[in-house]
Formats: sequence, C-alpha cells, structure tokens
Amino acid sequence: MKSKVENLKILKNKSGAFVRKIWKHRQGRIGMIVVLLLVLTAVFAKWIAPYDPYDVTQRVDKGLSPSLTHLLGTSITTGQDVFSMLIYGTRVSLSVGIITGLAIAVLGSVLGVAAGYLGGIVDMVLMRIVDIMIVIPTLPLTIVITNIFGHSYVVIVLVFVLFGWQSLSRVVRSQVLLLKNSDYVKAAELAGAGKKYIMFRHILPGVSHLVVMNTALTCAGIMIAEAGLSFLGLGNPTAISWGKMLADAQSGGSMLFGHWWTILAPGIGIFLSVFAFMRLGLAIEEILNPKMKRKSGAYVMHRQLNHRYLEEVFQSMNDVETGGTADE
Amino acid sequence: MGKIYIVKRILYTVFVFAVVVTLCFFIPRIGVDDPCSRYYPAQGNMSDAQYEVIKELTREQYGLDGTTWSQFCRYISNLCKGDLGTSYQSGSPKVIDLIFARLPWTLVLSVSSMLISLFFGMLIGAFCAWKRGGWQDRALMNASTITTALPAFFLALLLAFFLGFQWEIFPAYTDQNMVSSFRWNAKSVLNVAYNAALPVISSVIGGIISYAQSTRNSVIAVSNENFIITAKAKGVSNTAVIYKHTLRNAMLPIATSLGMSISGLIGGSVVIEQIFNWNGVGTLFLEANNTNDYPLMMGIMIFLSAFALVANLVTDLCYSLLDPRVTLGEKR
Repeated sequence: MKSKVENLKILKNKSGAFVRKIWKHRQGRIGMIVVLLLVLTAVFAKWIAPYDPYDVTQRVDKGLSPSLTHLLGTSITTGQDVFSMLIYGTRVSLSVGIITGLAIAVLGSVLGVAAGYLGGIVDMVLMRIVDIMIVIPTLPLTIVITNIFGHSYVVIVLVFVLFGWQSLSRVVRSQVLLLKNSDYVKAAELAGAGKKYIMFRHILPGVSHLVVMNTALTCAGIMIAEAGLSFLGLGNPTAISWGKMLADAQSGGSMLFGHWWTILAPGIGIFLSVFAFMRLGLAIEEILNPKMKRKSGAYVMHRQLNHRYLEEVFQSMNDVETGGTADE
Repeated sequence: MGKIYIVKRILYTVFVFAVVVTLCFFIPRIGVDDPCSRYYPAQGNMSDAQYEVIKELTREQYGLDGTTWSQFCRYISNLCKGDLGTSYQSGSPKVIDLIFARLPWTLVLSVSSMLISLFFGMLIGAFCAWKRGGWQDRALMNASTITTALPAFFLALLLAFFLGFQWEIFPAYTDQNMVSSFRWNAKSVLNVAYNAALPVISSVIGGIISYAQSTRNSVIAVSNENFIITAKAKGVSNTAVIYKHTLRNAMLPIATSLGMSISGLIGGSVVIEQIFNWNGVGTLFLEANNTNDYPLMMGIMIFLSAFALVANLVTDLCYSLLDPRVTLGEKR
C-alpha cells in the first residue's frame, strides 16, 4: 500500500519535471500552449461558441458573409454559424486524435515489448503480422471497412488503431532488444522476477520516452487522417468536423461565390492542431535525445493518409543520428 | 549469392498478396450470412418472392452460388486468369477494363508530380546541405514542418480557390471532355497539361520539401563519413568526390523514399483526384464506394495492393543492387 503511494509520488515528481522541461523548450512551449488552448476550446465549446451548430432551429440564411453577429458568416449548404462549427469541430478532431493516439500507444508498446522480450514464436508471429500490415494499402481498406461497418467514430477509431500500431511496436521491439541484455534486466532475472513483472516494471519504463514521443506524432497524423476521411465524405455524417466543413464548402460552391473564409477557417483549424502536436512530439524527442538537439532533420510525415509516416520519421531520425555522431 | 534472397523476397511478396486477396474475398462477407444480401440489399417495395428471384440472379451473375469454399476457389481461379469480376455499372463492364481505362490518367498525375518533386527536391536539398546552418537551410526546415502539418487537400483547395477561381489561371475542375476527346496531337497533350497543372502543383509542394529534406540529411550524413575525408586526402578531384563518392552514397535513403512513393503512385492521390474531379483510379474507387459496387471496390483494392507489392519488390531488389550489404546480411 505504502509503496504504491510512494510510486505515485515519484511518478508525479517525474512528470512534473518533464512538463517543466517541455516548457523551457521554446518549440515545446508553443506546442503545449496551443494544445492546451485547443483542449480548453473543445471542453468549453458550449460556452465559447455563440450558437449551437447542432441545433436546427438556430440555422439562419445560407451563405451569409462575415459580420458581427456571425463572425465567419454562415455555411452555404445548411446556414449554420461557421465560427460555432469551427469551435465544435475541435471536439471531433482532438478526441479522435488523442483517443486513437493513446490506444495505439498502449497496443503498440505492449506488443512491441512482448515481441522483443519474449522472442521466439511470439516475436516471429507478431513481426510477420507487422510486415504484412505495413505493406497493405490502408486508405482503400479503411474506406471499405467503414462502408461495411458504418461511419461511426467507434469504427473509425478502431480502424485507425488497427492500422496504426505496427510501426510503434517495431520501433519499441528494436529498443527492447537492446535493453534485454542490459545489466539491470539480467539482475532482475537472476533475482527471480517473473517475465510479466520484468516486462512491465523494467522494460516498459525503458522505452517510455519512445512511446511518449510517438504518441504526440501519432495524434498529429491521425488528426490529418480523420480530416481527410471526413473530407472524402467517409467520416461520421452526423458530427461537425473540420474535414466535413471543408467538403461542404467545396461541394456547396463557396469557391464559386468567393467565400474564402469557409475554406480557410477549418483548414487553419486542422493545420494548427496538427502543427501543435507535431511541435510537442519533436520537442519531447529533442529533450529525451539531447544528441539530436538543433538537428531536427526531416520529419517526413505521411502525405497520403497512410501510417507509414512513422516509419519515415524514424528513417530520417536514423539519418540525423548518424549525421549527429559523425559531427561530434 | 543473391539468388536465395531474391527467391525469398518473391515468395514473401506472393504470400502477402495471397493474404490481401483472402481479405478482399472475405470482407464483403463479414456480418452477413448470405453475401448476396450485401451485393443486393433488400428494397422496401419488394416482396420476399421477388427478392428471392433477384437474389438468385445476383448469385449467378457475380459468382456467389455454391459453398463459400467453392466461391473462393472460383474467385482465385478467375483471378489467375486476370479476371477481377464484373462491375454493377450498367452494361456490366469488367472490373479490369474499368481500371485500365482510368489507370493512365492517374499515372499522368502521379508520375509527373513524382518526377518534378524528385528533381527539384534533390536540387534544393543538395543546395541546403551545401549552405548547412544558413538561412536557406533553416527555411527548408521550417517549410518542412509546415508542409507536413498542412493536409494536401487543404493546400489543393486553396490553390483551386486562388489560381482556379479568383485569378483564373488554371482550371479548378478538370475538363470532362478531356478524356473522351483525347488524340495523340499537340493540342490534346497541351490540354491535359493545362488541366493537370493544379493537381500536380498541389501534390508537388509537399513532395519537393520532403525530398529536399531527405537529400539534405543524407548528403550531410555522407559528407561526414571517413571515406570522403580519405578521398579528399588522396587528392581526388572535387567533382569526383561530389559525384562519385558523396552523391552516390547519399542516393540510398532517397531511393528508399522514392520506392515508397512509387508504391503509392496509384492509390496515393485519391483526395487530390476528388478535389479536381480528375478521372482517375481514385475517383473510380470513391464512385464504387458511393454505389456500394463491391466487385469494383475489391477489384481496385486487389489491383492497388498488387501494384504496391510489385513496386516494393522491385525497389528492394534495386536497393540490394545499390547497397550490397542488404544481401550480405541475408547470406550470413
């Protein structure tokens, strides 16, 4: 009982110090502030937004220009207040991004640790699955699966998790293979600790920095993917999301009427949230990997809504690292 | 010596393809007892007897009769003959014909944007590596974080809005007569280029930056290697150091990212095609999705995977030619 409380205390101190470190990092601070603002916007959307975009009775004339009553005008297709839609859209983007990111973090790290530490048949089976799933084109498969199982966010999140854990687990596994032979793990093994205990108490904390960094970057990637899916009209049709706002603006002819604000607003929303999470992830990475400081190279994220971007991020990380060691 | 590696790699590709085909066969069958009810859902104004008749016809037409196992065997044997099934579209065209009709148009878009981004990316990347730490280098770094956070479809919409609608430089919607009236003459080709300008520009911007970044990183990483210093110390001329030693070794990571983009050549531009109404495979897939055209959807899915797998295979084999260590590691 006592040890649990102590553990919690240590964890609290550690995470407090970590947050302070991010705060001191200039890019990290920008990321953290924007993420915090977005989270606050999402939570208090009801009070910030002047209108309730879900309320059909509050719809007015379609396609109004920006004015004091409607800061960003109204949408062309439905006559909802665009500014309120923008505020409410934060909820979808952030919740899908963060929930999926956390789920991928848990699944990817647990499977990666299991594959790396247990080795043998577990390793072989898991890594073959990873190999296969990384090659399969994910966007068409995602479209087909949402077609069959419906367009609810539960399905979308599940699909994203299903196709998102592979690269993390591969990276975690290779780190675990290094940790496995370290002295403290050997000592724990000799002391008679069980495999489960070693995996969760000794190995998992050792790879936690990779997982934390990855989660921030995954969140960013998933938010782009979700926006793209809703933009194609394959997201949840009842929810208000930034991708759907863009799709409505395009199909409603806002370009024809010159309503640039209906395109710019949701686009900047997507950009800002993705940018903030990316900044946060890169800052965490630089803090935990000081060797790479001031050398953040190509973080080539995905361009095609598939999740191979993490692979590329790590590919470029390796490039940078070899460049870094050669410099010193 | 490399033979075992090549055979292994090919067998592995065939295995993954078999997994994809199996998935594509079973996905429309998930959650329904009879795949027929997925292929032809019951309509409200239809009596049960009528529906049974229609179901029977559907079964015959789409090869859904017999046990699941015999359907699967038939599916595989058709696939081996290059037959991906029949689409729902009127006149029941073959899926494979539909894909091949659209394929060149997708390739026009994706191949040209890949080549343009590769060319300018390597140029800019090498330049930034040369000016390492200068403002050009930092500008590239900032640009890369911005373009990675900027979704391609948002960029495409902005370009369509400004270049297409406001300033009317390029068409924001593809001329729908372009495909049907295409002849091999200068006028048609120019028309295609004119229509393809905006989609290509919007996918090229991100591509240039990402190629530039990877070129820059790998050039810098290689130029710090000992063998470059050795070559310089030996008195090898500057041009030989740059072209024979640095750039040749810096090509490896670029080849990797090139291979990745080759595997995405067909499936990668769905959103861009949709925005500009481009008659490509991506829009065909979305049309199939909107009309619940399962044979067409699964056919495109299989075709895309086959293309991506073959592209990956070829990239890997080329990679082992470029970097003999890949096969050496396999031999040991």
